[in-house]
Amino acid sequence: MLLRLKYCKTQAGRFLSHLDQVRTLERAFRRAKLPLAFSEGYNPHPKVSYGSALAVGVTSDGEYLDLELREALPLVKIKEQLISSMPPALQLLEIKELHARTVSLSALINLARYRVDTICSVSLTFRQAQEAIDKVLSSTQYLVDRRGKNGLRQVEIRAGIYALHGWLEDSKWILEMDLRTGSTGNVKPEEVVQMLVEINGFGMCEIIRVHRKGLFVLRDKEIKTPLEVE
Amino acid sequence: MESLRQLIEDEILPGVTKPLRYVGNEYNVVKKDWDSVKIRMLFAFPDIYEVGMSHLGMRILYHLVNEQKDALMERVFAPWTDMEQAMREKGVPLFSLETYRPVRDFDCIGFTLQYEMSYTNILNMLDLGKIPLLARERGNEYPLIIAGGPCAYNPEPLADFMDLFVIGEGEEVLPEILQVIAEHRRQRQGKMEKADLLRALARIRGVYAPAFYEPVYCQNAVLQGIRATEPNIAPRIVKRVVKDLEQAYFPLRPIVPYLEIVHDRVMLEVLRGCSRGCRFCQAGMVYRPVRERKEETLKAQAGELLLSTGYNEISLTSLSTSDYTGIEPLVKDLLDQYQRDTIGISLPSLRVDSFSLSLAKQIQRVRKAGLTFAPEAGTQRLRDVINKGVTEENLMEVAETAFRAGWTQMKLYFMIGLPTETREDLDGIADLARKVLDRGMKVLRGRGSFQQPKITVSVSSFVPKPHTPFQWEGQDSLELLREKQQYLKNKIRDKRITFNYHEAALSMLEAVFAKGDRRLGAVLLEAWRRGCKFDSWSECFRYETWLETFQAKGMEPGILAQATGKEEDVLPWDHIDMGVTKDYLWQERTKAYQMATTGDCREHGCQECGICQGLDVQTVLQKKGEEKDALTPQVL
Repeated sequence: MLLRLKYCKTQAGRFLSHLDQVRTLERAFRRAKLPLAFSEGYNPHPKVSYGSALAVGVTSDGEYLDLELREALPLVKIKEQLISSMPPALQLLEIKELHARTVSLSALINLARYRVDTICSVSLTFRQAQEAIDKVLSSTQYLVDRRGKNGLRQVEIRAGIYALHGWLEDSKWILEMDLRTGSTGNVKPEEVVQMLVEINGFGMCEIIRVHRKGLFVLRDKEIKTPLEVE
Repeated sequence: MESLRQLIEDEILPGVTKPLRYVGNEYNVVKKDWDSVKIRMLFAFPDIYEVGMSHLGMRILYHLVNEQKDALMERVFAPWTDMEQAMREKGVPLFSLETYRPVRDFDCIGFTLQYEMSYTNILNMLDLGKIPLLARERGNEYPLIIAGGPCAYNPEPLADFMDLFVIGEGEEVLPEILQVIAEHRRQRQGKMEKADLLRALARIRGVYAPAFYEPVYCQNAVLQGIRATEPNIAPRIVKRVVKDLEQAYFPLRPIVPYLEIVHDRVMLEVLRGCSRGCRFCQAGMVYRPVRERKEETLKAQAGELLLSTGYNEISLTSLSTSDYTGIEPLVKDLLDQYQRDTIGISLPSLRVDSFSLSLAKQIQRVRKAGLTFAPEAGTQRLRDVINKGVTEENLMEVAETAFRAGWTQMKLYFMIGLPTETREDLDGIADLARKVLDRGMKVLRGRGSFQQPKITVSVSSFVPKPHTPFQWEGQDSLELLREKQQYLKNKIRDKRITFNYHEAALSMLEAVFAKGDRRLGAVLLEAWRRGCKFDSWSECFRYETWLETFQAKGMEPGILAQATGKEEDVLPWDHIDMGVTKDYLWQERTKAYQMATTGDCREHGCQECGICQGLDVQTVLQKKGEEKDALTPQVL
């Protein structure tokens, strides 16, 4: 039986690394008495595949994983057992049975939506903030430095910014952005903030919170959740 | 509390390594209502989260206390240096993991003393908690600071800092202590009158309140005794021991950490104590007698623990698990039952004389863990001196068995600096490692494998410990230990053998604090003031600072570590009665020098160590293959 799970990473769980999540979820599945299917070999592990790794410190309302069971169980029962087995850091949101083994989650997901709370060193008017965002959207290219195994390299990110908007709330500038993720490349929310600051000459914007609102599938200009596509 | 949590989560944790150490909120965490209980205790582990959370004693006491209606227990660990710095910069006091409450708010803080070189962390934690370090400087408004665990068997180096020590097995004593504190506070509208409270607590068996005892020295500074200063105070403190492990509390819903800890698995305590009688081993003396749990009990506990934690591995823990009477059927049955769920079984501390091929085959059915054995010494002569009853034949058989069963790696533990050691004994370590390697080569080549066997030889330095037959021994000098390490390093030059050794200077300080008396309190305090902490972490160990501190206090650590004792000497821990008699220990020491071994009472009858007679307890073994009533265990 193949399952697709949607779960969130709560405030309590924001410091979990991807590896911590993997371990924590396996234990939750075991506590829920799910008949897990395992890989072969000296160190067998459950057959679980993840959508997109989430950075340490980032919370999320929409993470996904696919899970294989060695026998079928009623969905309602699985959901009920899982909910009570999840730790405070991770909470189950939805569950769906997959009827065919198709594209992997990591190949499917290509868009991540973030909310980023920032505090800018200059105080912005509504108009200035809007113009700054427009300037990002009307540019055609922006290069960021990334440190990889072979040293620094430059990566173009503008093409991976699908949407960007924002508003002012007290002293905070809150940004929402749809960014490219997955096998075709990744744009990090911090890089978008860096771009905003630099091309508008804002000095500095301190990021106080990053939250992933969800992971999506962008196909033919339509945005769907991984639960809506197989 | 919530505002403190917010500040820490938002402003401190994003900047420190492994923030999960300070977050709490794990699965199975217990958060009780502060105002609905009568007594609030904090369990303090003087090392980082990953080490502390691996400690079985903490798991037991945490849930034991929290299952009592009127009590709560929360946890705190030593913050790593980066976290400490951030906390000090922001003025954040040390806080509990459960509710982010300043540690000062608790009625009682209990430190566990697992090893001597964590003592500076205790002082640092009290200071971070804004609590005066010296017991006599803490007034009624501060929590009672208590300590227990193996190092409490020589409590004197910490006597200046602790209000009381628990001698023996905590699950026996702690509920009584908490009840007395709660009752004391109830009678005084929540207030504490420390001197009165300590007097009441000192009446509990197994409780040592150092304020009521004073060391007496003669003119040349030699200890003459530790005397009770009040008439109603017991002259000797007798350890507390769980008589029937079967009836003892064992937590079935332990906390499951988010980050990987040192022992990240179900810990099933199959037995307590060890009567093998290795003469250097403190645990083997102070945790007597041997008490096994029933096989059915263990199986039931395993089932519940797997379900409540979701772990994929069970560790059968004890001082010597392969000595459990029904070890093979237990391992086999557990694997049979849980193999489908890929639950692995690991056995720490295997003995080469009780490890069999069938056991080897069992434990690698699911996950193949590493194999570690501890011959401890390189020659039969020295193994007889230390009463490690294993032979070279045992080890070679085990090596053969393990390599045949598919292992290619093996770890061997040895000690250098043991009493009577000669070059020949050091050569023996290298020879033994080589022989095991050769056996491995032969077996692997024999089945056509081109894999190289890998042997790890880990060598620690002998530290004389209180309440052992070697408590009168001096340690080798630092220079000699280092020379021996180099000698072995040069002797073992083979790519297939990895040679590890421990920092000898650390072992020297460990000996000083293990054997030390109350005068070491001042050294400890000064070393902490000069910045010593996390001494057992090589990146934090500041040997030069320690040396300067000892000099400033007019002491020489080398002399203290090397000091030998005579039979009639008063030892700083003579007022602590752990059941095995001093006469027996001296007799064992004498036999050591005669290379005479002493049998295990499980097989060779009572050796009259004094534990069963002195403490009215019994060795409890489970008979193979038949149901035994808990009330009529096999008694030796």
